[in-house]
Amino acid sequence: MGLGLRSFTARTETGEAVLDADNGEELIHIQPSIHIVFNNLSPFSNGTLYISTKQVIWLSDEDKSKGYAVDFLSISLHAVSTDPEAYPLPCIYTQIDNDADEDDSDDSDSECNVIHDLSKIREMRLIPSDPTQLDTLFEVFCECAELNPEPNDEEEEEHDWAFNTDQTENEEPEEEGYVSQNPANSLGQSNGNHDLARTVLELQINDKRFEDAEEMENNGDGSHH
Amino acid sequence: MLFFSYFKDLVGREVTVELKNDLAIRGTLHSVDQYLNIKLENTRVVDQDKYPHMLSVRNCFIRGSVVRYVQLPPEGVDIEILHDATRREARGG
Repeated sequence: MGLGLRSFTARTETGEAVLDADNGEELIHIQPSIHIVFNNLSPFSNGTLYISTKQVIWLSDEDKSKGYAVDFLSISLHAVSTDPEAYPLPCIYTQIDNDADEDDSDDSDSECNVIHDLSKIREMRLIPSDPTQLDTLFEVFCECAELNPEPNDEEEEEHDWAFNTDQTENEEPEEEGYVSQNPANSLGQSNGNHDLARTVLELQINDKRFEDAEEMENNGDGSHH
Repeated sequence: MLFFSYFKDLVGREVTVELKNDLAIRGTLHSVDQYLNIKLENTRVVDQDKYPHMLSVRNCFIRGSVVRYVQLPPEGVDIEILHDATRREARGG
């Protein structure tokens, strides 16, 4: 699993996809002149496909602000589709998985061809203008998918769990301690309390009739002085 | 590693791979790697009514982590070998 499809806009000055070279991401293959289709929407025409060691990126040639990317971790399967009954044009077919719940309502987008919610995109087709490139693309997809095995879930979960436990153990008593030890610290309190404290102070100064009441109140919660 | 070596022996045979999203794909096992990524050839979807768009794809790479079951051909299952292999694996060999 992973993030699923996401928007991708990081381009260099020459319009190429910006990769995360600092984390070892390398470009494996560039495929110009390729159309992309999500679910059953109509295709976005010409773009350039960048296949890196981590992800597949498609950048529109026409609209420089448009681009999409999906990590290999999120690609459940990919296949060469050449049967016109399956899809009219030869393409690379992919299924995209993400952490969002399964939802069958994705067809609602198909009429207007606007993607409202990228997490609803479960299928992606890549249609190169040159169909002889399909086998090469397929093999590149295979190689890169093998570079991205599942992170070790068990270890991660245990790590998370321990981390969360530490966090709650450390934080909760601290917070309680803060509140109970500093009830009159107006810096840490809301303005409402601060104003109230000042009003009480003003009353104390301006009207001596409230002196006793104020003392009693102070004794009552035992923390003002 | 038991499954990896076991599946390697099944290369060339017809298997059905059932995914966690309920899609089942039948095809000839082309290869399998250590992450149990599976490559099938001459694939077809078992439940074609439900997945008409996947009617047929020439070859298909399935990510090991999305596989729920692999249905094996009965003639590809040698129970004696499996018994031995599981015992060896259980001993940590």
